[in-house]
Amino acid sequence: MKVAFITVNPPSATEGSVTPAVIGLLREWGLEVTLIRPDAELIDLHEVQVEHDLYVLKSGTELALSLAGMLDALGATMINPYPVTARCRDKIVATRILQSAGVPVPKTFLAVHPSQLAPLLDHGPLVVKPHRGSKGRGVQVVWDADELGDVATAAGPIFAQRYHEPTGRDRKLYCMGGQLFGVKRVWPARNYDDKLGEPFTVTSELHEIATRAGKAFGIDLFGLDIIVSDGRPFVVDVNPFPGFKGVPDAALRLADYVYDATRRAVDAAQRGGAAA
Amino acid sequence: MRAVVIGPGLIGCGFVGQLLRSSEWEVCFVGRGPVVDLLRRHRRYLVRLVEGPDADEVLVDGVSALGLGDRRSAAAAIAGADLVATAVGPGNLAAIAPAIADGLRARQEPNNVIAFENLLRAGPHLRDQVALHLPPGFPLDGHGFSGAVVSRAVSQRRWPKAPGDPLVFVGDRPSAFWVDRPALREPLPEVTGLVAIEQYEARVQAKLYTYSAGHAACAYLGFLKGYHYIHTAIRDPEIETAVRAAMAEGQRGLAARHGAELAGGEKELDAILSRFANAGLADAIVRVGRDPRRKLAADDRLVGAARLAAACGPAPEKLALAVAAALVFCDPSDRSCRGLHHQVAVTGVPGVLEAVCGLGSDDWLARLVTEEFNRLSAGWAEHNLLLSLEPALWAWASPADLAGPQAVAVDAAPALAGVG
Repeated sequence: MKVAFITVNPPSATEGSVTPAVIGLLREWGLEVTLIRPDAELIDLHEVQVEHDLYVLKSGTELALSLAGMLDALGATMINPYPVTARCRDKIVATRILQSAGVPVPKTFLAVHPSQLAPLLDHGPLVVKPHRGSKGRGVQVVWDADELGDVATAAGPIFAQRYHEPTGRDRKLYCMGGQLFGVKRVWPARNYDDKLGEPFTVTSELHEIATRAGKAFGIDLFGLDIIVSDGRPFVVDVNPFPGFKGVPDAALRLADYVYDATRRAVDAAQRGGAAA
Repeated sequence: MRAVVIGPGLIGCGFVGQLLRSSEWEVCFVGRGPVVDLLRRHRRYLVRLVEGPDADEVLVDGVSALGLGDRRSAAAAIAGADLVATAVGPGNLAAIAPAIADGLRARQEPNNVIAFENLLRAGPHLRDQVALHLPPGFPLDGHGFSGAVVSRAVSQRRWPKAPGDPLVFVGDRPSAFWVDRPALREPLPEVTGLVAIEQYEARVQAKLYTYSAGHAACAYLGFLKGYHYIHTAIRDPEIETAVRAAMAEGQRGLAARHGAELAGGEKELDAILSRFANAGLADAIVRVGRDPRRKLAADDRLVGAARLAAACGPAPEKLALAVAAALVFCDPSDRSCRGLHHQVAVTGVPGVLEAVCGLGSDDWLARLVTEEFNRLSAGWAEHNLLLSLEPALWAWASPADLAGPQAVAVDAAPALAGVG
């Protein structure tokens, strides 16, 4: 069985990444694992074809998404599927999908110029984010109108959400094949231990949120960033392939999931082939 | 020499048929379903013997196949065979007994029937079933009936990818099987891997109470922790420790009953754990765990091992944990599972332990299992999973918590310090 990880960095380059261990386990279990790094390799567009039973779309860069889109068009099996990943990567689209599914999200605004946000600040601070950002990069809390001049506009539309003062640590919810894991984490993380956070038993309310989010996107592998403010949870981000940091036995569980997904992909292809 | 193999399934094709053909026997499979059609049409299949990423392929060719529904042909084949083997699963022996009876009735010479079933007293049990379909006074004692302890695990049957491709059976490499010498009639069949022994029941127990107990424990605990495959679950340090301990408890009882040599020691446990870690088998937890009701029988792998261990030493805690996990195990497609859950709901765990496991409510082993069950079932819900076995920490709050006044508030969610 052949699996390809579409990734940004060599997996070992990220501290605490579970990916190297996952790849190691999959190889030990007899899978042929290839790393595809579209941001570091020359790609001949005409040579791109489906060569693996399963693609794991780990990277969210524009080039990785484009490559995933090409492979998707060629019939590749991918976790997560390109269309879903593309929707998740666009915070505007993702937030609306979550809201439509009844998932609590902060009130959200779109603007093309920071000054358009000024009247909203009369009702409280805003969190401004790049609409295609990730990993907390470019996230800024704006309290006063005179801070709007610092808001970056080069990344396109301005995505702003009402700021809710977090009570305690942020919650990370990780879903993997219908299984749900919760990790409490300090944000921003100051060190590796902060990144690992602390597992907790997910409550009914958060379980319902994760279930709705998964159904809304039609995926069973994702992460949700949740802040809790005055006892109310708000989903502030969705990640189609999170790092699963802090999940007990994360690498083993993720390897088990990818292995099973690969087997199912092979079985499905064989059934298709036999039917043909 | 001609052999009939009733049950062209994992063990029937992936073990028995392969060994018979490699010993130059003519092999005729008797069974039901599309496998019979494929074998009849192609007259061959492939056995892939795996060890991690390495595999040897053995082509088993020149076989024939008959439908069990064609009773006259099946009886004729059995009557003309020099050996009859079954590999249908213990629960199906009664269903094939009439065909064997028909075949033996049409035969003059003695024959041997070997039941390749993971079951204590498989030979006598099959013999009793066959006797029910024979007239009084039939000389059944002239025929040999033995079980067989199979050393190989066969985990998968893969259908042909394309028309003309062979069926593929995937198993590991061991090829020995032990039979009950006194129960068979001379001459013993000459088959690669056959080892005829005097203390057959002890050998069956040795396999059931170590390998099979460990396999089942790994499946039931792996299920609770959310894994899909045996080779994955056994990599979980908590599960590996619990499975090893459960098998050691099994060995303790075996050593007291049959002696240390048969029971084995650490080296044998290492070898078994290494087999569980064989990813080439891709052995699914739902396959290994299926039919928990049968596997929880009083003398079967878990309860039987626990009773034997309990009789000669301290409480077999990990076997009791595995029994409790088996009661929680839930595969919606498994009728045995659904029935067991229904029975738990109706009679409670003590009722199930008495009816299924033969453990009375005053039995301290039953109390130990009930304690473990209560601990596990408190958090269980479909798709929920244990992050930690000791203490039992669940990924999310159980439905009981969701509805009740004890629901955990978001900010009061209990932290699982030290897990991971």
